[in-house]
Amino acid sequence: MLKLPIKDLKLFFKDRPSVLVTFAVPIALITLFAFAFGGAGQGNKENKISMQIADLDNTDLSAKAIAVFDTLKNIRTNHVSYEAAVEAIKKGKENSVLIIHKGFADSLETGSELPLELQYDEAREIEVGLLQQSLIPTVFRLPFSLGNPKAVMAGRFEKLTENSSPEVKENILHQSDNLFESLSQGIAENSGTTDPAGAFLGNEIKMTKLVAAKKDSSLGLIQAVSGTAVMMLLFSVVGIGMGLLEEKQEGTLKRLLYAPMNPMKILFGKMISANIISIFQLAVMFLFAALVFGLELKNHSTGLLITIIATAFACSAFGVFLASFAKSRQQVQGLSTLIILVMSAIGGSMIPIFFMPAFMQKLAVISVNYWSIQGFYDVLWRELPVFSTTFLSRILVLVLIGVVLNFLAVIMFKKNILKMN
Amino acid sequence: MIEIKNLRKTYDGHEALKGISFNIREGEFYGLLGPNGAGKTTTISIMSSILEPDSGEVLINGKNITGDITEAKQLTGVVPQEIALYGDFSAFENLSFWGSLYNVPNRELKQRIENMLNLFGLYDRRHDKVKAYSGGMKRRINIAAALLHQPKIVFMDEPTVGIDPQSRNLIYEVIEQLHQEGMTIVYTTHYMEEAERFCDRIGIIDNGQIIEEGTLQELKSRSNLKEVIEVTYDKLEDTQAGEIISRWPGSSRKENKISFLLTDIQKELPGIVIKSSEIGVTINNIEIQRTNLETIFLNLTGKQLRD
Ligand SMILES: Nc1ncnc2c1ncn2[C@@H]1O[C@H](COP(=O)(O)OP(=O)(O)O)[C@@H](O)[C@H]1O
Ligand SMILES: [Mg+2]
Repeated sequence: MLKLPIKDLKLFFKDRPSVLVTFAVPIALITLFAFAFGGAGQGNKENKISMQIADLDNTDLSAKAIAVFDTLKNIRTNHVSYEAAVEAIKKGKENSVLIIHKGFADSLETGSELPLELQYDEAREIEVGLLQQSLIPTVFRLPFSLGNPKAVMAGRFEKLTENSSPEVKENILHQSDNLFESLSQGIAENSGTTDPAGAFLGNEIKMTKLVAAKKDSSLGLIQAVSGTAVMMLLFSVVGIGMGLLEEKQEGTLKRLLYAPMNPMKILFGKMISANIISIFQLAVMFLFAALVFGLELKNHSTGLLITIIATAFACSAFGVFLASFAKSRQQVQGLSTLIILVMSAIGGSMIPIFFMPAFMQKLAVISVNYWSIQGFYDVLWRELPVFSTTFLSRILVLVLIGVVLNFLAVIMFKKNILKMN
Repeated sequence: MIEIKNLRKTYDGHEALKGISFNIREGEFYGLLGPNGAGKTTTISIMSSILEPDSGEVLINGKNITGDITEAKQLTGVVPQEIALYGDFSAFENLSFWGSLYNVPNRELKQRIENMLNLFGLYDRRHDKVKAYSGGMKRRINIAAALLHQPKIVFMDEPTVGIDPQSRNLIYEVIEQLHQEGMTIVYTTHYMEEAERFCDRIGIIDNGQIIEEGTLQELKSRSNLKEVIEVTYDKLEDTQAGEIISRWPGSSRKENKISFLLTDIQKELPGIVIKSSEIGVTINNIEIQRTNLETIFLNLTGKQLRD
């Protein structure tokens, strides 16, 4: 009996504003978030990013350097052994480790390149990018704050003038005291991230991918698409579910009930049309991201389709459930907006989960958004095979959410919606 | 054909139906006349088996409708009080959808929809969205949607509320035609003109109870209501007036006008005219105030039908 869902679909596409809300608004939001996250996620200052530090140098100077890193306000440091650090990264518990190699103290004294290395999980490039931004200015300043600045200067100048003529070398050496004065003053005054003095000095952290992502598709884009798509799906699916209350208020539900069919078909019809529209909406979102932003979907179509269907199932059930237990449209409107915003906030639709403190990450599991977004990460980023238990467990949770909510909707529908004259 | 037995229904402590019983014969046009809130819609909803009564039962062709809901539903068409149509659908799309729910084969359905659109004078507007229709046009489609499966029985719940006279007349004609074709019709209304015009029998419902039932004639005679005629004479002497008043007790004089209280105008009016000429008075004007459902209802309940 597909007459009812077909009717719903026809009505849906005749209703311009709701088509607009279903497709245009999420596309606009995805675009916005894609640019926001694509720019390596600036502006996330409140949350500290964790970073492990492994000290292989074990000198007074390396300890002093660690003390400097400890004071950085955006970074929560964690002093561990190198082995433990690597283990934690591989398990996905930590994103990176800053390694202070042997010879660090010597390099500080002599002004040669500092043997610092950041080993990281490429899957978490946004966090690591933020780490880098906070670390680099500090590292630039280390030779000045801890080492022998004059030696450092001399060493740097020698390196910089390697290929210059003897006259130039002579000239610079002549001015070196002057230069040193002005540079160290500049460094003292300039505490921003763009540090001309630091840049001139050119100290670097060697970046090593410890866990390499298998491709270079952008995590930011995947976050933007999946996070936004799920959140907007929840909104549009509540709209579809509210169709039930609208039919009740307009009287068409009554007329449906006059017809010679089981009244539950009315609910099932709504569920079917909600699922179809949801799948369609999600598919359009990912296609948009693929076409416009080059999101790589080709080799992930099966996993993506499974995640889309499971997400559509869970979200549709949410929409129909809300509508079936509310008394009026107005009631659903207010309540659903609140619930969706909260779920989206804690579930990682707005802010990526990995930016959140640990207790928030634990809380996230109560939202539909979390499971669905993780499912999309599994497929598009982690590239887990469809049969991996991690991926399947997320799909299972989504399906369970859908089954439970649909079941509750059936009960509430009998109790609330059908009660009329 | 339809037996309604002692229906009771209470909504959150408010007793909407207090034991409603009536029977409808095959082919009969039965009117439920009552003011807003009387319980008409509640009764229709129970009869269409979308609402369960607290007690009592409805039998259609001797079968309890709660037993085989689907069969009873296939047999009946219901015109709800609200305009229950999809505004974003055209008349044609609405009728196609509603008709399809009653298992009419597609090709047959299409033919019936075209006939129905012609019957209700909306064929030319069939592809316009219903939300762009006038109230009267919507009402016409609202009725048409209940007739596509050619039901034996139709329940119409105030099907002409708030529409223009033209649509109303068109609907009346269609309804009369359906009645002539032998359809059994239950029609609720608070317009006494409608009840008087169509109904073979009328049940007067108020406050969840049927307080009177019968044909219009039965209701009139049972009501014992006198009809009033007012005769204005050219000139009236006291003795002449006294003679007339003593002949018709209950009549009263006001200058050269006499008001008569009669049970049957048709029978008694000629007598008045004859008597007047016998005593030599000239009649200038006769005004008749007939008993109608409005006055019967007023007499029964002390209320107006319409508020
Ligand atoms: N769903 C409902 N909930 C509570 N009260 C109701 C409901 N439907 C009807 N009523 C009440 O029951 C009474 C009868 O209503 P109804 O059958 O709609 O009357 P009518 O159709 O004759 O205007 C009214 O007092 C009305 O307020
Ligand atoms: Mg009513």
